[in-house]
Amino acid sequence: MNNLKKIVLAEDNSTLSLLLKFRLEKEGYQLFIAEDGKKAIELIEENNPDLILSDIMMPFISGLEVISHVRNKLKVTTPIIVFSAAGQEEMVLKAFNLGANDFMGKPFSPNELVIRIKRLIP
Amino acid sequence: MIDFQFLLDYYNNLPSLIKLVWGLVGLLIIVIIDFLLYLKYLRSHLRDEEILSKKLFADYETNLINFLYAGNNEIKVSNEQQKIIDKMVFCVEDKFKRGIFISVLSKLKNEISGEMAIDINNLFLKTGLINYSLKKLNSRKWDEIASGIKELTQFEITNVYDDVSKLENHEKQEVRNEVQLYYVNLFQFKGLEFLNNLKSPISEWNQIQLLEILQKFDDQEITDISPWLKSENDSVVLFALKLAKIYNQFQSIDILLDLVSHKTKEIRVKSIEVLSYFQVKEAKSIIKSNFSERSIEEQISFFKMLLDVADSDDENFILENTNHHNFELKLIAFTLLKKLNSKKLQSIIQASQNIENEKIFNYLEVN
Amino acid sequence: MDSSTVKLILLIIHSLFFIYACSVILSYILLAIISAIESNQYMKRNSFVNYNEILSSTVAPSISIVAPAYNESLNIIENVRSLLSSHYVNYDVIIVNDGSKDNSLELLIKAYDLVKVDYLINEQIKTKPLRAGVFKSTNPAFEKLIVVDKENGGKADALNFGLNISNSQYCACIDVDCLLLEDSLQKMIKPFLEVTDVKVIASGGVIRIANACTIKEGKLLDINLPNKFIEIAQILEYLRSFLLGRMAWSRLNGLLVISGAFGIFEKKLAIEVGGYDTHTVGEDMEIIVRMRRHMEEKKVKYKVAYIPDPLCWTEAPDNYKILISQRNRWTRGTIETLRKHRKIGFNPKYNLLGMLSFPYWFFYERLAPIIEVVGILYFLILVALNNVKWDYVLAFFLLAYLFSIVFTLIAIFSEELTFHQYKKKGTGFKLVLVTLLEPFILHPVILYAAIKGNYDYYFNKKKKWGEMVRKGMSKT
Repeated sequence: MNNLKKIVLAEDNSTLSLLLKFRLEKEGYQLFIAEDGKKAIELIEENNPDLILSDIMMPFISGLEVISHVRNKLKVTTPIIVFSAAGQEEMVLKAFNLGANDFMGKPFSPNELVIRIKRLIP
Repeated sequence: MIDFQFLLDYYNNLPSLIKLVWGLVGLLIIVIIDFLLYLKYLRSHLRDEEILSKKLFADYETNLINFLYAGNNEIKVSNEQQKIIDKMVFCVEDKFKRGIFISVLSKLKNEISGEMAIDINNLFLKTGLINYSLKKLNSRKWDEIASGIKELTQFEITNVYDDVSKLENHEKQEVRNEVQLYYVNLFQFKGLEFLNNLKSPISEWNQIQLLEILQKFDDQEITDISPWLKSENDSVVLFALKLAKIYNQFQSIDILLDLVSHKTKEIRVKSIEVLSYFQVKEAKSIIKSNFSERSIEEQISFFKMLLDVADSDDENFILENTNHHNFELKLIAFTLLKKLNSKKLQSIIQASQNIENEKIFNYLEVN
Repeated sequence: MDSSTVKLILLIIHSLFFIYACSVILSYILLAIISAIESNQYMKRNSFVNYNEILSSTVAPSISIVAPAYNESLNIIENVRSLLSSHYVNYDVIIVNDGSKDNSLELLIKAYDLVKVDYLINEQIKTKPLRAGVFKSTNPAFEKLIVVDKENGGKADALNFGLNISNSQYCACIDVDCLLLEDSLQKMIKPFLEVTDVKVIASGGVIRIANACTIKEGKLLDINLPNKFIEIAQILEYLRSFLLGRMAWSRLNGLLVISGAFGIFEKKLAIEVGGYDTHTVGEDMEIIVRMRRHMEEKKVKYKVAYIPDPLCWTEAPDNYKILISQRNRWTRGTIETLRKHRKIGFNPKYNLLGMLSFPYWFFYERLAPIIEVVGILYFLILVALNNVKWDYVLAFFLLAYLFSIVFTLIAIFSEELTFHQYKKKGTGFKLVLVTLLEPFILHPVILYAAIKGNYDYYFNKKKKWGEMVRKGMSKT
């Protein structure tokens, strides 16, 4: 079981988390879910995931801060995909500047997300 | 034992005012006891309702996810999916459960698009929720009507267009807003046709909502916005100005140049902003001709425009306005001067005795 | 002076008291009814509002959150983080460190990677000058933060500095120790955007009491009813005031005060009227009265909006000493504001503001404590003269007491039927218990504080803000 790739998902919408968990576990990944940025960072530090999925607008530690923490404090190159309802240019640029690998604006297609995940962690 | 006769005599002998007071006291005591009992009932009812709500929500959530993943590609609806549909058809007969189920569907629908989103819409149809939403449209209560329209919008039910459009001119702004959101969500730019005949004002709030929805759709036929720019309805003009900027409607520049002289100040200011975005030099002469009569907002807006389109012809005009009373405008004027003719700026700085300007000069030196 | 004249005078005095008492009760009943209607309409209007779109909009107006801070080092990092996590696109957070004597600035610089920047400030309102300067973050995740360190000038002065430095269309003036929920900005800005027939000049929020609530790193995790009598009693007071009082006044468009702890203004207008008054302790009330007055004088139709949602949570005094000091300050603020703008009282030129709001505030808020004390003194004199029919006294007293219970219960109902924040078992019982005891315990304290406020206003000019000892929000 230990060769399953690990994904940390930071998303405060419980229904969406459940949906993605279902789908991604079917695809063969191991999922860790956090409802906010703080818990996300904890899960990342504990589990050293192969990929991080994060919403940008989350309670009290935003997705941007998560990216910043992972790239600047933990200094790892774990691929990060962010998604957000605020899919505006400014947000996208900030996310990429901080070190995100890919960005999906909400609403997004879960199928497309899976494709992009597979591209980042083949 | 209390001697009732004594109390009765006593009461009857009181002045009427005091009788009234005691009467009220008695009444209030009864009212308070009722309130307390009702409060206890209300709280435990709300508590139970919340627990039930959470339980049902989690339950329906699981049902929904199972439904979405239980499909197989050949048959239209798999057995497992049908089971879930049947269960939900039964559940939604109850208003409380219906509300929760719709909120589960909405919660997910807002986040995802593509095939799965279409599946959610289908579930809305197959469970018969559409009938309840349509019924709401005929309600006498405006909040129910608005809620019904919103549901039809969320689950993209296009074939009820006629029912919804009947409410386009409803007396309540909230209902009209929901109809407009329906149009745009389902028909994108085509849905904006209602602007042609709109008599009532469309609030900034709704304009923002419409714009955000429009921006979610990638390819669209952007219709001609000129009739809207010429509308009698000021809020429609303002909305069209936003559209002009976001969708780069260069072809409307001529109309925009006219709008700079519109009777409404806000429209004049906003059209200067859009012309500024398009960097339209022709606007300069029009605005400069009656610059001093214009409001301060227009003047500042124009100077911000000059930051992009100023050239040496404007130097004298800018120079005149370095004496303007408004700080923000002065700052831009000096900034422009630095860009166009820094030697001139230097000579002004040397000669200047104005303390306020000194702050600006110091700032401009390093920025 | 013969006995019939004395009797006549006594009759007049008694009638005046009686009329006053009746009008108070009548006004409370009216306000309760109006607020019930307005609450109902508000909940309906908001039941289907979608706040999602405005979250991602770049067209939505810009807002600056201005938060003055003085010696707030205990909580400032958390508070700033909570402000930075608002779910709105076009906003920034301006923390004005008002000459703090502690290490607030150093803590902020370290936590948010701040560096000093060059800033040209348009000093539209005269304020105390900068001290250490203006700071911004080098980390893009904290791009929205601006920290200003200036010479001490008081809360109003700090807010004015914020108004000067802000580039936004609207300013949300808050207390830095207020915990703002993430969707506060879009909810508060809504009135400005959705009202089409008049101009909305300000939008006020509701203050909820955070004592005993679980707050972890600037996030509200759990809402609990505090255990201390004084804290619960204040909650009841706030419920009455916010859900019954202000809701009704908002509908009448007669709202005279927006809580200083949380309110949004159109920046341009706030500067146009001259910003906050640094010479009063009631600057939050005073600026609203001044803004309203300005609009009346300009003869432009306007509205002061009010959002009853629980968006702003703050610590209330948990001991009597601080409570008395706070209420003393509020009293002096009210007196100062009413006095400064006395020209508008009963002046038809000022429409509702002058003919209803101002007189109401004057008679039922400002004068009420004095009338009550005079009443008590008069009663004591009668007792001394042995001129009291105790059974009548009992009747009237019971009536007054029961009425106050009824109103508080109505306030509790309003809360249960609208936002229902206190869900846990046992809180209902505690609320009712405190309701029954409040008139005997809290009310005399408030009365004392108000009288002291009056005394200090007239005879003790040196008093100012006093210290609010920060206990820090409860951590898990």
